[in-house]
Amino acid sequence: MSKRKSPYISRRHLLQGSAAIAGASAVGLSRGAMAQSKGKVVVGTWGGDYARLLNKNIEQPILIPAGWEVVQDQAGDPQRRSKMLAERRLPRGTTDVQGLSAVNMYQMDVAGVIDKIDYSKLKNAPNLLESMKYPYGVGHIYSGKVALYNSEVVKDAPKSYKDVFDAKHGNKLGIIDIQYQYTIVAAALAAGGSVDNVEPGKKLLLEMRKAGARIYPTNEAFAQGMKTGEIGVGIMWKARAVQWQKAGIPVVAVTPSEGAIAYVSGFVIPKNAPNKEGSYAYLDAMLEASAQENFAIDMGYNPTVTNAKVTPDLNKRIGFTPEDIKKLVNMDYKYMTENDVALKEWWDKEFKG
Amino acid sequence: MASEDGGSRLSAAALIGPATFIVALGLAIPMAILFRYSLNQFKPGLMMVDALTLENYVKFFSDSYYLTVFWTTVRVALSCTIICLLLGFPLAYKLARTQTRHKNLLIMLVVLPLFVGNAVRAAGWMTVFGIKGFLNTTLIWLGIIHEPLEIMFTETAVIIGIIAVNLPFMVLTLQSVIEGIDRAVEEAAFSLGAGPWEMFRRVLWPLALPGIIAGTILTFILGMNAYATPVLLGGPKFKMMAPLVFGQFQLNNWPFGAAVAFLLMLTTLCLTATANILMQRRYRR
Repeated sequence: MSKRKSPYISRRHLLQGSAAIAGASAVGLSRGAMAQSKGKVVVGTWGGDYARLLNKNIEQPILIPAGWEVVQDQAGDPQRRSKMLAERRLPRGTTDVQGLSAVNMYQMDVAGVIDKIDYSKLKNAPNLLESMKYPYGVGHIYSGKVALYNSEVVKDAPKSYKDVFDAKHGNKLGIIDIQYQYTIVAAALAAGGSVDNVEPGKKLLLEMRKAGARIYPTNEAFAQGMKTGEIGVGIMWKARAVQWQKAGIPVVAVTPSEGAIAYVSGFVIPKNAPNKEGSYAYLDAMLEASAQENFAIDMGYNPTVTNAKVTPDLNKRIGFTPEDIKKLVNMDYKYMTENDVALKEWWDKEFKG
Repeated sequence: MASEDGGSRLSAAALIGPATFIVALGLAIPMAILFRYSLNQFKPGLMMVDALTLENYVKFFSDSYYLTVFWTTVRVALSCTIICLLLGFPLAYKLARTQTRHKNLLIMLVVLPLFVGNAVRAAGWMTVFGIKGFLNTTLIWLGIIHEPLEIMFTETAVIIGIIAVNLPFMVLTLQSVIEGIDRAVEEAAFSLGAGPWEMFRRVLWPLALPGIIAGTILTFILGMNAYATPVLLGGPKFKMMAPLVFGQFQLNNWPFGAAVAFLLMLTTLCLTATANILMQRRYRR
């Protein structure tokens, strides 16, 4: 009963052969497609609006049409910083760029987990403000810590941090817990201290606490307090004030006479980023004028490139005058990194306690 | 017979062995790493420096602030567990003994709050407890109070929030155990002259003890490790251990964060094991 081999091609063989040819063509096609695809960029970012706007203003209009596949790794910055530190010994990390505040960019640089930026690889670098060219990161957007007040609750408009941190406001002064670094520095500026001498600010804050200042856990809770009239004065990013005004919260923003403390949000490249080419493509795309203009419109933060056009009306709401820009106060990142734990312990134990 | 027993034991071990091994490994390795980190030193900028020091534990036990956080956590977890047991037992009993055809619907109603995440639920409580929230507005409208009550950002708000999260766990655990207790046992106690309290104390409670232990352990562990509720309802001045751990990692202080996390885990383990042993001993008759 041995099987006799047929000299003819059976239907099954024909089908198998066709499948093989189709498969080979598919492999060929996918190789062709691969040649067009530039690969994957993994972006570490905060979730919420910021992540949505990165997708809307950078990824969808610029990177994806250029052939990049973009994946967002959304988490708070403490989790993402922990991840970067945990991955430091791995030859290949899991993210290509990470969004961090300027203080945290500095901390990650000191920790030795991020690359120095090669600005020659960014075609948009010539447009980038010099103050936003960090050796270890690229500034994406910025705003400033301004005085906020609700004119129905507080009659005299504050003109400075000193006017905000005034015991006369009693329990109408609101302070945001998660903004402890900037609050301590703002109080220091109000009390005659500086970004690296915050002791006068601590003393002033304790006086405010004694006078009845309310502490809110989050930015949103502070906004809610402003809305209900529970508080009428405080400090916050101008960009947030713009968002709250849009949401119908009756707050007015005033640039403090001491100079607004700058908040910069930027991106860094982990040393073990798997796709460095993708990292630079992302940084370049985020500096495109169109992306920066849309971020100003959607989120109220100022562009970090000189060629982004912001309408005068929008600039009036989100921007700063040339004098205010000159007076912007940068945090002392080194001081803050070295003293962060001590400041937080003081904040928790003595100020809030 | 002996070889058959041996064979079945061997096959049982082969069946549960791989899963147990993976779980043990998944638990033991992270715990070992956590413990090792807790012996390291924190240096600003460098984050964590390899060392073998107990300074993080000394810092915790020598600072009244951290000890207050620790005792607050134990107090809140215990209060929530006791209240959940007091509220949950009657509800579980009623659910277990009810004969209605809507029983499944009633169980679903108990489970329903679990369909919403803790943070969302806490946000809901915020709208109830706020100065101009539902509760204050209603009480003022009814003329019961004239000044709004300060409930938000208090321990009371946190306890209410955690109870709302943990109660379904307690009810479901108790209900499944009470359902397994024959109704005839209770009727026998009544027919022998026991009153409702006597029947509960001498019949129902001892028989339901496995469920009570499981339910209390579950709610106590959840209470000890609560994060979203204390952060959102407790506010900035109220601290429990889980937010404290997260706060340390936010500051990149891994060694101290690891020490606090390890102490939290150890305390939870010790307290639940002790309670388990004591209760089992008390009712082993």
